[in-house]
Amino acid sequence: MGTEPSSSPQTLLSLKHISKTFGGIHALADVSFDLRPSEVHALVGENGAGKSTLIKIITGAYTADRGTITLSGVEYDRLSPELARRLGIGAVYQEFNLLPELSVAENIYLKSPPIGRLGLIDARARAQNVLRLLERLGAQTHIAPDQPVKYLTVGEQQIVEITKALATNAHILILDEPSAVLPSRDLDRLFNVIRALRAEGHGIIYISHRLNEIFELADRVTVLKDGQTITTKAVAETNNAELVRLMVGRSLTDLYPPKDNQPGQVLLDVSGLCVEGNVFDIGFQVREGEVVGMAGLGGSGRTTVCRSLVGLGKIQSGQITYRGRPAPGNPASAARAGLVLIPEDRKAFGLILNQSMRFNLTLPNLLQFQQTGWLRPGLEQQAVDRAIADNQIRPSDPELGTENLSGGNQQKVVVGKWLLSGPKLVVFDEPTRGIDVGAKAEIYARIRDLTLRGVGVIMASSELPELLGMCDRMLVFHEGRLTGELARPDFSEEAIMRLATGTEPAPAP
Amino acid sequence: MGITLQKSERWGSARLGQAVALLRNNPSIVLIYGIIIVICVVAAIFNEDFRTASNVANILRQSIVIGLIAIGQSMVVLTGGADMSVAMVARTVGLVVATIFLAANSSNGLIVPLVILGAGIGIVLGCFNGLLVTQTHANPFIITFGVANILRGVNLAISSTPIRGVPDAYLSIYDAKIGLVPVNVIVMALVWLGAWIFTTRVLAGRALFAVGGSERVARLTALRVNWTLLSAFVISATFAALAGLFLLSRTGVGDPNAADGMDFQSIVAVALGGISLYGGKGSLLGTLGGVLLLVILSNVFNALQVDIYYQQLLLGLVVLIAVAAYKSPRTA
Repeated sequence: MGTEPSSSPQTLLSLKHISKTFGGIHALADVSFDLRPSEVHALVGENGAGKSTLIKIITGAYTADRGTITLSGVEYDRLSPELARRLGIGAVYQEFNLLPELSVAENIYLKSPPIGRLGLIDARARAQNVLRLLERLGAQTHIAPDQPVKYLTVGEQQIVEITKALATNAHILILDEPSAVLPSRDLDRLFNVIRALRAEGHGIIYISHRLNEIFELADRVTVLKDGQTITTKAVAETNNAELVRLMVGRSLTDLYPPKDNQPGQVLLDVSGLCVEGNVFDIGFQVREGEVVGMAGLGGSGRTTVCRSLVGLGKIQSGQITYRGRPAPGNPASAARAGLVLIPEDRKAFGLILNQSMRFNLTLPNLLQFQQTGWLRPGLEQQAVDRAIADNQIRPSDPELGTENLSGGNQQKVVVGKWLLSGPKLVVFDEPTRGIDVGAKAEIYARIRDLTLRGVGVIMASSELPELLGMCDRMLVFHEGRLTGELARPDFSEEAIMRLATGTEPAPAP
Repeated sequence: MGITLQKSERWGSARLGQAVALLRNNPSIVLIYGIIIVICVVAAIFNEDFRTASNVANILRQSIVIGLIAIGQSMVVLTGGADMSVAMVARTVGLVVATIFLAANSSNGLIVPLVILGAGIGIVLGCFNGLLVTQTHANPFIITFGVANILRGVNLAISSTPIRGVPDAYLSIYDAKIGLVPVNVIVMALVWLGAWIFTTRVLAGRALFAVGGSERVARLTALRVNWTLLSAFVISATFAALAGLFLLSRTGVGDPNAADGMDFQSIVAVALGGISLYGGKGSLLGTLGGVLLLVILSNVFNALQVDIYYQQLLLGLVVLIAVAAYKSPRTA
């Protein structure tokens, strides 16, 4: 060949010197990136490092200010979504674009179904094509072409999304945090699909905050920080600690603040708690200044217990005593009593996305800013400034719409709005899901601050390392029951996993 | 001293910052007042009658009925709903009050009690709407549309012909002036100010935005969602009732066709002003602009002697253009 000096034949996609600014702020400054055939190329970086912007430039949603994109030897300075699709670029985002009432096959061929002789959709050919695609991914055993999408699990829907991209002949596939939405048991299936695609010669751009996935799956990794490419390395030549340092300029040991909290009086006493549907006979205590962890697999009842503490969900029996009294019956009275839940899905339950940071931060605390019936802008402003500074929310402009913030900063706003209310017991449900290491460290620091001031904390999480790093005691759930309570000296990933999966302990040798 | 001075400076800058943010987050406000200014300048240059003080007073006075209804409508739209019963509430109040005036031989002594009764009817109908919406969780648009149809039937039962008998003293609500300025325009300015303060500086007003933004988040954020929805419908119907009372003082008769089309027009004014029809976003300052734009357009059309049918057509076009201009950017 040798006719394309701008890209080697070994490259599917090559971005050179891409820059993009939004209103004077550099989202990307001189980023270069390339993707080879039969490669899983991981893209990592903190929230706001520019990953999403880069992806949007590749899929044609944004136009770069400077720089070029080379695809199969042809150089472009801009792509449109249509052009990107035609050139074989497909993307699967965290939010799926599937119509739940339609079948798998109908969804996959929504745009250009195979047409039969009379100009009608050839349903049989469509089903056969879909079956072939699913077979290529090894997914034909659990997904049928005629199944309505709404009956599929999240993991299966994700595979349908990937199939949809394949159906448009995509050979460059972008997966944006595919594991964030998956229960852990579906992860292996996803990895097998990705490996099957790699074996066929596809290039895959894999974005994830979970570094261990990258070491399991990826061939190369590119680190973005502050809109710049820090490095591109073969995965075999790097390690977890180095990647974290490159991403945040901080080493892993600083992630969890020192444990110097002193548990005090009992704040919350739960006994014999049964909640309609999926929680049975739960009992535990939480003390002042203590972090109590809740571990367990997805669907083990952690979230149900968390919600029932603030009066959500139907409690069938059992007692919840908070500060010597029966627990409040709804989130509003719970919040007035200083018992708050920071829910797991910040977009659905935590933030009013079309409103500013100021609006969201002050919303649960309006009574504080009220004097003789009027809200005082001055008081509000002081509280907003304090929350932004304490939680290190970036950017710090309080008028910014929360929908424009990165995931980590959105989570800091949710945490900030509740901490402004001066709570005595805070229930965190998945406090760090889908956020970057730097934001995680800041949230851990906030949790430690709380305990030093005598606030009790419940931390429900599916990430064992953070539970091990933060908790004083740990409750382990399995299928709606409490299977164990571990004190700090007994913490180990193995012990927790055994309780969480309901496995009998191995007999002592 | 130094500290307090710094503090008050900060508060001042906080307010300025919020004002800037208001315009930045609601670009439609700048747009709509820009359009109003352009129309007014053009009309004032080409039409001598337009720039007379009496025409300006007239425009302001004509903006009162639609203004009252649009204020109430704004509250409901902010929660993410729509109140399609406002025109019928206004009409019902007018008819009921006129009927009682007629039965009581136009007694002046009844003016105050009947104004209170009229407002009371608004409150009751607002509660009715609000309870239906919060208890059935059905679409507010459909529910209030149903209520509007019930009221339409009630109104026809009361009278299908104009009801005379409104005492002359009542008409002074419309006519009273201080110098050239109608008293009701001054009162209305205060009403706008009060409504704006309610939405920005009172907890219950802030709650409207939260409920409209996300009912689920509002509930989890310790707000009383049902109370907020109920209050929006009560305010809406009460302001509609006030509009009905004001209309009665303008026409002097209980009119079975009063407030025709005001439900649609009030939503148009709200939407023109940039309050999102999905709820949770916007400002009453925009609604005021929307109201003024509608009234000024109709004033200019009348001056140009545009046929009423073409006025309807042009108004429809304005709505379509506005909707297209404000369409949510998050449609991808």
